[in-house]
Amino acid sequence: MNSLAIELLAPRYPIAWYPWAVQYFFLIALSYATLWLAAPAIIFGKKNGLPTARLALLACLSATLVAPIALLADLHQPLRFWHFYAYANTHSWMSVGSIILPLYLMSVVGLTWMAWRPALQANRSAPGFLGFVSRWISLGTGPTPKILLVVVGVAALIFSTGIMLYTGAEVAIVKARPLWNTYWLPPMFVATGFITAAGLILLLNRVTQMNSLPVNSQMLKVMLVATLAAAVIAAAWVLGGMSDPQGSVAAAINSIRFSNSWRNTALWGSITAVVLFVGTLYVLVNKTKQPALHSWVWLLGLVAIHLGWMFRWVVLMDVQHVARNSAGFHHYGIPAGSSGLLGILGTFGLWLAVMLLIDLFVPWREARQGGVAGDVQLATNEDTSVVKGATSHG
Amino acid sequence: MDFIRRSLLGQLARLSAGAALVPLSSLAVAGINEQPVRREGDPTKRYGMLIDLRQCIGCQACTVSCHIENAAPLGKFRTTVSQYEVEDLASGALATFMLPRLCNHCENPPCVPVCPVEATFQRQDGIVVVDSDRCVGCAYCVNACPYDARFINDKTQTADKCTFCAHRLEAGLLPACVESCVGGARIIGDMRDSTSQISQMIAEYGEQLMVLQPEKNTLPQVFYLGMDERFVTRPVAEAALLEVLDNQGKEMGYEFSGH
Repeated sequence: MNSLAIELLAPRYPIAWYPWAVQYFFLIALSYATLWLAAPAIIFGKKNGLPTARLALLACLSATLVAPIALLADLHQPLRFWHFYAYANTHSWMSVGSIILPLYLMSVVGLTWMAWRPALQANRSAPGFLGFVSRWISLGTGPTPKILLVVVGVAALIFSTGIMLYTGAEVAIVKARPLWNTYWLPPMFVATGFITAAGLILLLNRVTQMNSLPVNSQMLKVMLVATLAAAVIAAAWVLGGMSDPQGSVAAAINSIRFSNSWRNTALWGSITAVVLFVGTLYVLVNKTKQPALHSWVWLLGLVAIHLGWMFRWVVLMDVQHVARNSAGFHHYGIPAGSSGLLGILGTFGLWLAVMLLIDLFVPWREARQGGVAGDVQLATNEDTSVVKGATSHG
Repeated sequence: MDFIRRSLLGQLARLSAGAALVPLSSLAVAGINEQPVRREGDPTKRYGMLIDLRQCIGCQACTVSCHIENAAPLGKFRTTVSQYEVEDLASGALATFMLPRLCNHCENPPCVPVCPVEATFQRQDGIVVVDSDRCVGCAYCVNACPYDARFINDKTQTADKCTFCAHRLEAGLLPACVESCVGGARIIGDMRDSTSQISQMIAEYGEQLMVLQPEKNTLPQVFYLGMDERFVTRPVAEAALLEVLDNQGKEMGYEFSGH
């Protein structure tokens, strides 16, 4: 029977997870991805990755410290966070995450502290407040054993896989939201996490005036691989889902079919990804113009950060607007207060503040695989491969 | 390296390696996303509801009485009645369709295993409840419920939902929505008691009964009699009028929201 129905009366169903969740997923992905980008040099001793690792560690620690604050803020009862440990429910991915997250945080803090400790020790005799802070944070003058750093670093890597797994699974198991309920979501979080991390390091390479050419080359390669991986995952999601009328692809197509904003989102996301991929490939292939091009790759970094953040916004916020029982779409204007715009800006502000504080007090440019203060003086200016003729934009 | 430091290092290494295995081992035993053990409530009962849509006139008495009984914040509902106007395109004939919605107290409730602190749990009599003193307000359950039966209560800042008025059932009273239903459309009862009205109606109408979104495998325990299968999943419909504007173009009806 052919019929037309009009829904006369239905309540509003507001979103339940606020933009804080986007901030958490964004920062924690940056955290684990930058940890893996720092790992070759800092944990496994590959010298040619050291400049990248130094920038990555700065990004990693700052993101790791701020991410749990955003997560806490997304609780409606943040002061009850201790209930996670008093009444842990191992049936819940979120509860599993609440066990992994502090272990991960502590291992990252331990790793970065050990990597920065020799340089901090070298600063112990610095005048004024810097010397005081250096003496206080470096905890004595004893050497930092490399083996301990490696052990803590490997532990951090293991915990980070737990973070990748739980953050993805937590969202992907929700059958009530077909757009989340797909095996391809967790790997997509990881792939876009690496895109964002590579982008952030390109940007940091610029704004910290490090301007290292090898950093740019390495990050562009990571970006290329991660963008390709994201494309493969997206293609697999579409192809695998075509045959499943109840699945997330069908839901996605239905959402887009009746909504201009979803169609625009899909278009914008695809265009951004293609721009990023083509731009990265162009810079990598065009070796003759490299010094000039490299002074502009931070722009690709910005595009990558935009892509990673937008993906999380669409997945976590926009999907909550897709009505499950009522007709049409739920409309959500970002509120100005702490559960909206202020929360987003506040998290970014806090993150920036943490990075600036680290930059003020910690000689993060001298991060190394442990050792003693004496190693630091010997090794200054070891990185001579800076981008030439490109110091005026920072 | 002196002995103490070496042994400390060894212990730290063991600790890190051991700690690294904690999440993995807990993953293996946890049975993540499986239903935790039910607790509290009467194990000899299994409450369910049957809604006879043939009797529902869409008066929203249930919506109002539930709202008053359970002091839900304005604009959020433990139960409500969706109303549709359906037009037969061939004949042009019009009909209205009423669909009372509430928590389905599912046999396999997706909202329960996701709760990180077991604040939301299923009682042995099948009723799904929230311990609002324990709830951390993470809203995971709100997203996990395919029926939009849960919300964050603005006053308590914790998850809120229909409890079949468990407090009234325990006092020998009917839930507010059942009590106030003018057509007697809502029938609640113990499905383990074969003499209860709900058991007899389930036996009588059997295959005519439908549940919402059966494909989600939640096994809802709210059964609809006189249901149209086009409304079992999200109905294809034009949107409701969500916003009523006054002369100044300002939205009406929500002026007390947040109070």
